[in-house]
Amino acid sequence: MLVEVAHLVKRFRDVTVVDGVSFSIADGEILGLLGPNGAGKSTTIQMVMGLIRPTSGEIRIFGLSFSRHRGEILRRMNIASPYLSLPARLTVYESLDIYARLYGVTHRAEKIAQLLQRFEIEHLRASLVGRLSSGEVVRVTLARALLNEPKLLLLDEPTAFLDPHAAARMRETILAVQRDSGMAVLYTSHNMAEVEQMCSRIVFLHRGRVLVTGSPIEVSRSILRTDINRPALQEVYQHVAAGRVR
Amino acid sequence: MNVDRIVAVILRQAYESRRNLDRMMDMLYWPVLDVFLWGFFTVYLSRTGTLRPGIVGFLLGGAILWGVFRAFQRDMTIGVLSDLWSRNLGTLFATPLTVWEYMGALLALNLAKTVAGVSFAALIAWIAYAYKIFPFTLRLLPSLLNLILFAFVVGLAITGLILRFTTRIQGLTWSFTGFLLPVSCVFYPVSSLPRSLRPVAWALPTTHAFEGMRAVLAGKPAPAAYLVWGLLLNLLYLAATVAFFHWMFERARAEGLLVKQD
Repeated sequence: MLVEVAHLVKRFRDVTVVDGVSFSIADGEILGLLGPNGAGKSTTIQMVMGLIRPTSGEIRIFGLSFSRHRGEILRRMNIASPYLSLPARLTVYESLDIYARLYGVTHRAEKIAQLLQRFEIEHLRASLVGRLSSGEVVRVTLARALLNEPKLLLLDEPTAFLDPHAAARMRETILAVQRDSGMAVLYTSHNMAEVEQMCSRIVFLHRGRVLVTGSPIEVSRSILRTDINRPALQEVYQHVAAGRVR
Repeated sequence: MNVDRIVAVILRQAYESRRNLDRMMDMLYWPVLDVFLWGFFTVYLSRTGTLRPGIVGFLLGGAILWGVFRAFQRDMTIGVLSDLWSRNLGTLFATPLTVWEYMGALLALNLAKTVAGVSFAALIAWIAYAYKIFPFTLRLLPSLLNLILFAFVVGLAITGLILRFTTRIQGLTWSFTGFLLPVSCVFYPVSSLPRSLRPVAWALPTTHAFEGMRAVLAGKPAPAAYLVWGLLLNLLYLAATVAFFHWMFERARAEGLLVKQD
């Protein structure tokens, strides 16, 4: 397994935000981490990334313990999240160049040019990040997240600020990159149709705990308790968000 | 320590400074303002006939070196604040960058900015008041290094506090050196202080640096005792502050404050 998360717990003072979460991600897999607001998705992702220290539990990535091999692990993974921004007063190229240096990317200029082209943002190369539209920022953020050709990519609501057309284009791009590189992806989104399209397996969180794990159709059947023959994650989501699941 | 990653952080700060008028002003405006202020004051004293020999050097030298100390500490902390304000700190620490590479980069960048700032202030003092600090540069170097080291220590401590207690206490960035100013004896000797405050003054590396500066500017041999005591105190505070900063950083990571400050 590429990622193994075991019995992960995070408490902020008296509040338990993540409560014994376990899951794994196989090489090349796209795993969806779903749940209503406050389910613990972003906290879990940020713990996997080492930005938040877990209260207890273990995270192993590429077979290595995160606490002992932080640098080695982070060189081979990346993240795009609305909680993580780029400096507003730097141009798109400057930002990408700095992050390419941080990841030790060789042939930085070629790599950046290739990503700017892939995300159709070559014209923004000299624009200040602070002057970009939210949709443009998402594309730059994704380009940044692919600079080091990660083996594991964490995508926290990557299409949240995009219009439906741009979101569809973005999904296609992510899937194409994933097919080409074989990277594994941990994906969160509130758009259930998007999750059904992108993810082969889902971990559904509720109040910090894993409610169910399985394919979209298995998750739908398990939570809705019906023998449906198609994924119905939107209904699942509403069902859980309305508190009809304990 | 990875040099490429340190260079990346230096570039990130340099790009920002280039487009940020506040940062350029901080680097040049305040040191020059101090030189003019104390320069006019010494001109006034000389006209009233109350000026002791050497006082111009003490006041202008104090203004320039205190400017170095204040600017270095402030800019160390502002470097981190700029990443907090732009929510870039979490993005940086999601890369292999370590916190000591990050702080090392801020240290290197601020050393360069300090050289630029102090040179500019000294140039203004020379042009406006024919005050030449450059001939003393070599002999003032120990005092200057002690000041820079203590500015780094104070900057590190304040940065740790801001990471842990969020930008609600960011005012410390600009105000903390003001608290140290009266007891650092920048413009007067320690003997001018009330007896009860003298132990506090001697516990600060800044006091040793300014006493050393006055001895040098008075034409006495560079006093080794001030340098050694200043350095020993600095090393003591540095060791304590490194441990404190590491503790604050880990507490901030535990609380999720690298990603969300509010």
